[in-house]
Amino acid sequence: MNQKNDYHISFFKPTTERAKTNRNMVLWLISIWAVAVFGFHFLLRAIEKPTPEPELIAFNQVWENVKSGNASNDEVMKFAQSALHVTGKIFIDADSKKALDNGISWALMQLADSAQKIAVNTAVVDFEKVIASKTSITNADYISAKKNLIGISQNIIGLSPNSVLASILPFELHAAYFDVFTSENQTIVEACMPKYMTHNRSVLTDTKFLGFPFHYFYSAVFLLILFIALCYAYCVLTDRYNKRMDIVE
Amino acid sequence: MKKIILPFIALALPVALNAATGATELEGGFKIGPAIILITILCAFVMVGIIFRAKDTTDFYAAGRSISRTGSGMAIASNWMSAASFLGMAALMYGSGYHGLAYVVGWTGGYVLLLILMAGQIRKYGKYTAADFIGDRFYSQSLRATGAIIAILISISYCVGQFAGIGLMFQWILGINFTWSVIIGGTVVLTYTLISGMLGVTKNMQIQYIIIIVSFLIPLFILTYKFDYFWILPQIGYGSVVSDITYGIAQSDISSLVNSFGHDFAITASPEYSMPWDIATGKTFFQWMAIAFSLMIGTAGLPHVIQRFYVVPKASDARWSVVWGLFFICLLYWSAPVYSAFGKILSANPEVGKLSKDAIVVYTAQLGNVHPLIVGLLAAGGVSAAFSTVSGLLVAGASAFSHDLYVKVINPEASPSRQLRMARLGTVLMAIIVTMIAMLKLALISQLVAVAFSLAGCTIFPLFLLGIWWSGSNREGAIAGLIMGGFVSLLSITYFVAGKMGVVLPFSEFMNYYLGAWYFAWIGAPLAILTNIIVSKLTPETPIEIRKFLIEQVHS
Repeated sequence: MNQKNDYHISFFKPTTERAKTNRNMVLWLISIWAVAVFGFHFLLRAIEKPTPEPELIAFNQVWENVKSGNASNDEVMKFAQSALHVTGKIFIDADSKKALDNGISWALMQLADSAQKIAVNTAVVDFEKVIASKTSITNADYISAKKNLIGISQNIIGLSPNSVLASILPFELHAAYFDVFTSENQTIVEACMPKYMTHNRSVLTDTKFLGFPFHYFYSAVFLLILFIALCYAYCVLTDRYNKRMDIVE
Repeated sequence: MKKIILPFIALALPVALNAATGATELEGGFKIGPAIILITILCAFVMVGIIFRAKDTTDFYAAGRSISRTGSGMAIASNWMSAASFLGMAALMYGSGYHGLAYVVGWTGGYVLLLILMAGQIRKYGKYTAADFIGDRFYSQSLRATGAIIAILISISYCVGQFAGIGLMFQWILGINFTWSVIIGGTVVLTYTLISGMLGVTKNMQIQYIIIIVSFLIPLFILTYKFDYFWILPQIGYGSVVSDITYGIAQSDISSLVNSFGHDFAITASPEYSMPWDIATGKTFFQWMAIAFSLMIGTAGLPHVIQRFYVVPKASDARWSVVWGLFFICLLYWSAPVYSAFGKILSANPEVGKLSKDAIVVYTAQLGNVHPLIVGLLAAGGVSAAFSTVSGLLVAGASAFSHDLYVKVINPEASPSRQLRMARLGTVLMAIIVTMIAMLKLALISQLVAVAFSLAGCTIFPLFLLGIWWSGSNREGAIAGLIMGGFVSLLSITYFVAGKMGVVLPFSEFMNYYLGAWYFAWIGAPLAILTNIIVSKLTPETPIEIRKFLIEQVHS
């Protein structure tokens, strides 16, 4: 203190050499901290572009025809596959799933010939019955009904055998949805497809680093290392300064 | 201590090994192996608590100020690594992808603020509790009492999430309903805290840290090894898991890798898991930033965290204990996202059904076919994490009740034994209140805990920040700032509770978005600081003796 009698402390107006050094050190560290955390995310936000998945582009190409009932078999198939792609996703709300299930079930029936329709219908009804009574997924009846349904329906919808989509298909088929793709569910599907298949992407999200998408690595791994480094630097610098100035705390 | 604990473990371990096969179900059923591991660990905690129990009030509040830097760092980490860290963070990332990383960043980045702005100065101030500091610095008994009440409220809010975590793990292990799980778990943690006090707690925290981190890391090595990722450092190896979720894994590529249900380790492309503020998750850029900021300043305002700096001998020890504490904490925070990433793929098949997000850490280990005994240890680690935090919180709350409210305000003549009795009464009352709220299951564990952070960020943080760094901040400014911070907190919590009760208040959509219960400090804290500064400028300055103390003791 230059003026001992004042006894005023202010971070921004240090009155001793030590306080000045500490203020500068704190400001440097906080600036690095703030830029690293918030600056990076503002940058991420600034350069991101809403990017559709290929399945959404395919959906957009066929949707108007599907909605108006003028779609060819290929278009219905594309629609069903893109809808199925969304149901296989990890975040999906119940209403959207219900509407997509309606679309997939209806599309399957549109694509099936009369013999296939009967077979699919029987297989779905059987599977629904087994699901209602099953106690374990290792139940033999359950496994057999599921395999049967996959076997019948995967080719109709144009899925390759043993694909991820084929394995989830039985859970999206419901007999109650076969006949009509309701306008209410069509509206939900139209809204939910871009919601689930458009993502904020940029060079920071598409670049891989140590296997991670770069931005993910930055937040989940690097920032934590940086925080420790900042804390370590502060302690070392403070101790060093105290030693140099013979300050005993 | 070793003479007591080792034979007990030696007796219990073979029984646990033989009984471990009980842990294969995802839901329901009594799991004897994990139950034995849990009981063994809890008995060890209680024994350590008895051996190192508090002998007087100095021991109870501040562990005799005899804890080393690394010991205190471990205790900080253990105290910090609650059910929210152990179970809740993975749950958030499992449920909302990249959004969950706001919690990881917020809960670690706050330590930088805590260290460079407060740790050393708090220790130099030389008080027992946060309310002690507030009362002395702002020369007001009513502020001391208010500080104590806020500390109790924060402790309660924080504890609710922990009790929910304890309940969830007890439910999983014992196969009983959630309500009974919370009651049993709450009773055990209360008994333990009453027996031990903070000295026992601090010793226990060091042991708990080892148990927590070991139980959390072992399954990660197994999962990454089993599913053919870089297992030597799972915290880096899981990067490829995140990319696999983003771009999808074809069934044909990994037909030999299956989960415990026999499902292929396959998933459709799901960029929403890793992409920032993805629309599919329903979370926004604003929420990410607000949560990270609120948690950071909340970290620097939590009474039970601040209180840990009173237990080290010197200010430099307080600083270094933060570095050690943060390092120990980061070991777990680097690892939690691994569970959510594996959990996503292993539970992707619709046959797995809907899993409780808060238990996803344990479910992931189960779905990954990790040995049931190790899954049991993991669950016991989750309980330990909640225990270590709850005991610290109950001590902080009890200190506020007994030391700051009863002794300093109501009965200054109270004898040390009466003070200790009041501290214990405060602990029991808090535990009862917390148990009752935890049974309501208001939100995810981490979200419940985040409420405490925002509350601390709006109330305690501004008082400490200005109290330490600006002698111009006076009693009137502190009261005004506290009223502002308290008002924002009350507003946000009212809207949150009303929403949970199905009551729609005016502007509820706007308020719930911009003043969300998990992140209202983003605006509450700056407003409280600003109010404090303005009112301080307009009212009589801080007494000379306080300013002198700040210069000669705190900033010397």
